[in-house]
Amino acid sequence: MKRVLSLLLVVVMLLSMAACSKEAEKPATTPDAPAVAGNSGKVTIWAWDPNFNIAIMNEAKARYQKDNPNVEVEIVDIAKGDLEQKLHTNLASGVTAGLPDIVLIEDYNAQKYLQSYPGSFADLSGKVKHSDFVNYKVGLMTIDGKVYGVPFDTGASGFYYRSDYLEQAGYKHEDLVNITWNQFIEIGKKVKEKTGKKMFGFGLDDGGLMRVMLQSTNQWYFDKQGNINMANNEALKAAVKAYKDIVASDIIKPTSGWNEWVAAFNSGDTAAVVTGVWITGSIKAEASQSGKWKVAPTPRLDVAGAVNASNLGGSSWYVLESSKNKDVAVDFLNKVYAGDNDFYQKILIDRGAVGSYMPAQGGASYAADDAFFGGQKVYTDFSEWMKKIPSINYGLYTYEADSAIFSVMPDVYSGALSVEDALKKAEDQLKNQIGK
Amino acid sequence: MERASKKSFIKIQNRYGWFFVSFALVLLGIFLIYPILNSLYLSTTSTKGIVQKSVGLTNYVKLFKDQMFLTALKNTFIFFIIQVPIMLLLALALASILNDKSIKLRGVFRTAIFLPAVTSLVAYTVLFKMMFSLDGFINTILMNLHIIKDPIPWLMHPFWARVTVIIAMTWRWTGYNMVFYLSGLQNIPDEIYEAAEIDGASKLQQFFHITLPMLKPIIVFTSIMSTIGTLQLFDEPMNLSQGGVTGSTTGPGNSLLTMSVYIYNLCFKFMPNFGYAATVSYVVVFIVATLSIIQFRLAGERK
Amino acid sequence: MKTKKIITRAFVYAFLIAAFVVSVFPFYWMLAGMTNNAIDVIKGKMTFGGQMINNLKVLITSHNLTGVLANSFKVSIATVIGTLLVSSMAAYGFEVYESKGRNRSYAIILLSMMVPFAALMIPLFRLIVRFGLLDNHLALIVTSLASVFLIFFFRQSFKSFPREIIQAARVDGAGEIRIFFSIVVPSMKSTYAAAAIYAFMTSWNAYLWPLIILQTDKQKTITLLISSMSSAYFPEYGVIMAAIVVATLPIIILFFALQSYFVQGMTGSVKQ
Repeated sequence: MKRVLSLLLVVVMLLSMAACSKEAEKPATTPDAPAVAGNSGKVTIWAWDPNFNIAIMNEAKARYQKDNPNVEVEIVDIAKGDLEQKLHTNLASGVTAGLPDIVLIEDYNAQKYLQSYPGSFADLSGKVKHSDFVNYKVGLMTIDGKVYGVPFDTGASGFYYRSDYLEQAGYKHEDLVNITWNQFIEIGKKVKEKTGKKMFGFGLDDGGLMRVMLQSTNQWYFDKQGNINMANNEALKAAVKAYKDIVASDIIKPTSGWNEWVAAFNSGDTAAVVTGVWITGSIKAEASQSGKWKVAPTPRLDVAGAVNASNLGGSSWYVLESSKNKDVAVDFLNKVYAGDNDFYQKILIDRGAVGSYMPAQGGASYAADDAFFGGQKVYTDFSEWMKKIPSINYGLYTYEADSAIFSVMPDVYSGALSVEDALKKAEDQLKNQIGK
Repeated sequence: MERASKKSFIKIQNRYGWFFVSFALVLLGIFLIYPILNSLYLSTTSTKGIVQKSVGLTNYVKLFKDQMFLTALKNTFIFFIIQVPIMLLLALALASILNDKSIKLRGVFRTAIFLPAVTSLVAYTVLFKMMFSLDGFINTILMNLHIIKDPIPWLMHPFWARVTVIIAMTWRWTGYNMVFYLSGLQNIPDEIYEAAEIDGASKLQQFFHITLPMLKPIIVFTSIMSTIGTLQLFDEPMNLSQGGVTGSTTGPGNSLLTMSVYIYNLCFKFMPNFGYAATVSYVVVFIVATLSIIQFRLAGERK
Repeated sequence: MKTKKIITRAFVYAFLIAAFVVSVFPFYWMLAGMTNNAIDVIKGKMTFGGQMINNLKVLITSHNLTGVLANSFKVSIATVIGTLLVSSMAAYGFEVYESKGRNRSYAIILLSMMVPFAALMIPLFRLIVRFGLLDNHLALIVTSLASVFLIFFFRQSFKSFPREIIQAARVDGAGEIRIFFSIVVPSMKSTYAAAAIYAFMTSWNAYLWPLIILQTDKQKTITLLISSMSSAYFPEYGVIMAAIVVATLPIIILFFALQSYFVQGMTGSVKQ
C-alpha cells in the first residue's frame, strides 16, 4: 500500500510540476527585445546534414566568434524533413517561443514559406549586398521587391562521367560537351554496347532530372504569373518524352531511392551521373575511382532557348522576424556568408560546397585542379555554368506538380497514355488540388 | 434494510470506479480531447500556413472530387484487407505453437520473432530497400532457385511495390502481435488443456474449442489495433518509397500513397493546408470507428 | 499415429526455424553493418569488417552518445512507470466497476484513439507551449501517461480475470484499492510485462512528438539522433548502424528480462 501511495505521489508531482513550470516560464515568453547591436547574445540555427551544412555552419561560427567572442551560437542538427515539420508546426501554431533565429530552407520551398507565413521572416533588403550573389538565387527569395534571405549553396548541375568507360566507347571530352539529351541517349547505347555498363542510375519516380531538364529551358510547371503550364508546355512535353525515351532505351540501371542511386555509381556499374554539384562528395567517397571521373556541362533538351546549364537543389539562410537577436543574426550571416572570401575557399576544399557568392569564385580553391577528376578544374567549370543557369521562379507548388506528373508516369512508360494525354491528366489533377 | 445496504454498496462502488479512472480521464481530457475539439474546428477552415479562412463544410465536399485522396483511400484499403488477416493469423499460429511447453528453445524463438518489432525504422528501411532492389538479395535467391527468370521490379512497379510493403509490414509486426497473444494465452489455465487432452481432443480441436474462444478479447484488441494501425499506415510507405533526390510520388505512380502520408503531405510537403489535412483525418476516424464497431459486434462483445 | 506426430513436429519446427531466420537476418545485417564503413554498407556487404571501434568512437565523441542515451532512458523509464499505473488503474475502473457514465467516457476515449496524430499536433503543441514545457522532457512524459492503447489492452485482459476472486476478497474485508494492488496486479504479471514492453518501446522509439517538442541538441533522444544522422547527402552508414544497434539493445534486454512472465502461468498465483 505504501508503495502504491508513493507512486500516486509521483504522478501528482509530475502534474503539479507541469502546472508550476507554466507559471515560472511565463516571463520568458514575453519578447522584451534586448537586441543590443553590441554583438553579444545568443543565436540559434536550424540546419540539416552534419557533414555539410552543419559542418560549414560550425566553420562560420568559429570565424565569427573570433571577432565577436560574446556571441553564443547554437547550431541544431535536424534531418531535413524533420526540420520542415518542426518549422511548419512552430510557424502555424503562431507561437514564436520555439523558433530559432536562423533557419536553412531549400530553394524549392522558399516561396512557399515566405507566402504561407507572411511577416515571419525578416526583410534583409538593404542589409545584405545581394548583388554579390548569383542572380537566380536572389530571385527565389524575393517577394514584391523585398529580399528575405542570404543565398547559400548552389545546385549547379553537371554531367559527371567515367572517362575510362567513355573512352572505351570511343568518346573524348569534346564529344560530351554541350550535347542534347537525344545525343546523351545515343552515347549511352554505345557505352552499353562497348563496355556492357549502363549509362546511369535512374529513379523511375524521381522528378529530380525533370527539374534539371526544365530549368535548362527556362521553363517550369508554371508560367511567370504562377499559373499552371503543363498540357501546352513544349519544354515539359520534351522532358516527359526524354524520360520515356531514356526508360525505353535500356541504358539505365533502375534505382529506387537515394542509396541505390548512389550505389549505382559508387559500385562502378554505371558510367555517368547528371545532377547537382553537391553530389561531388558522394562520388569522391569511392577513392578507388580517383582519376577516372570528369565533368561535362549538363545535356540540354532539344527546345528553343535551352542552354547547357541547369540546377538541382541548393538552399539558403533565412532570419526569423521573431528573433530576439535579429541584428546579431543578420550581422553573423553578413560578415561570413556575404563577406568572407576565405571562408568560401575553405568550405569548398573541406566540404565540396559551392557557394553562390560571386566574389569568392575568383579564389584560389576554385582555380585548383582536382586529381580525382583527372586534373580538371571542376570548380572553375561549375562557376562558369552557374552564371548561365536560367533564373526561374519555382513558385509555390513545385512538389504538387511533381506529384501530379509522376502519378501518371507509369502509364507513359507503358504506353497506356500518350505524352499529351498524360500531361492533360496531370494538369487536371493539379488544378483540382490547388484550386486554380 | 437489505436494499439500503445494497444501494450504499453501489454508491461506494461507483465512487471507487471514478477514483480508478480519474487520473487517466483528466490527462486524456487535457492532452487528447481538447486538441481533438480544436482540430475539428480546424477542419472547417482552409489554410495556407497562417493565412486562414473559414470554409464551413466545403472541405468535406472537396474530398470526393480530390483524385489524390481517392487514390490514398483505395491504397489504404488494399493494405488493410490483405495485410491484416495474413499478419494476425500468422501471429496467432506462432503464439499457440510457442505456448506449447513441449517445444524446445521457446525463449530463443520468441525473442527472435519479436526482434523485427524493435528494429529501428531507419535500419529496417535501408535494409529492405537493399534486399528488394533489382539486383538485390531477394531477386538473386529467387533467380538461383529458378522460381523467376527475370528480376522482379519490386519497388518500381505499382503492383510489386504494394506487395513489398505488405511483406515489410508483416515482417515487422507479426512478432509484436504474437506477444499480445502470448500474454493472453497465459490467462488460460493449463487444467483446461489437460482435461481436453484426457478427453482425447487433438491439438487442432483444442485450438478451435479452447484457445480461440478464451483468447477472444485479445483477438478483438489486436484486430482493432491493426485496423487503426493500417488505416493510419505511414512509416512503411513513406520510407520505402523515398524516391531519389526529390521523392515526387509515394511509390511508383503514387501506388503507396496512404491516407496518413497524404495528411503528412498536405501539412508539410505541399502548400501547408492544415484545415484540409484535419478534414482528411476525420474521414480516417469515421472509417476506423465504423470498422471497429463492426469488429466488436462480430465478436459479440458489449460495447 | 506416432509417425504422424513426428511429421507434425517436423513441420512445426521447420516453420519456427523459417520464422527465426527471416526475423533475425536483418539484425545480423545491422551487426555486420556496424563493423563496416559507409560505402560497404551501401554496396550491401554482408560480412564483418574492421570498423567497429572506429564507428563507435565517432558515435561517442562527435554525436554525444552518452548524453543522448541518458535522455532516452530518463524519458522512457518515467513514462513506463507512470503509464502502467495510470492506464491499468483506469482499465480496472472501467471493467470492474461498470457504469453507464464510465462506459460512455470509455467509448469516447476509444474513439479518440482513432484520430491521426498529425491532426492533433498543432493544438497540442500550442498547449505545451502554454504550459511552458517546450524543450522539456516532461512534455513527452505527461502526454503519454494515459495511453488509450494500454487502457484498452488492460481492459481486454482484465476481462478474463475471475470476478469470484474479487468478491471473495471483499468478503474477507479487503479494501477496493488494496484488492487491486495486492491481488489483481500481482496475478496479471504477463499482462503487465507485455504492457511494459509496449510502453517502453513506444516511448524509446517515439519520434514525431519529441522532434517537435525538443528544441536543443542537449535534450535530444536517440531516435532523433539516428534520424538526423541518416538525412545527410552522404550518410555515414557504419556509424548509423552502430547507433541503431546501441538503440535496439535496451529493448531486447528488457524483452529478455520480462519474457519469463510469458512462460509462467497465472493460475498458480491466483490460486494461492
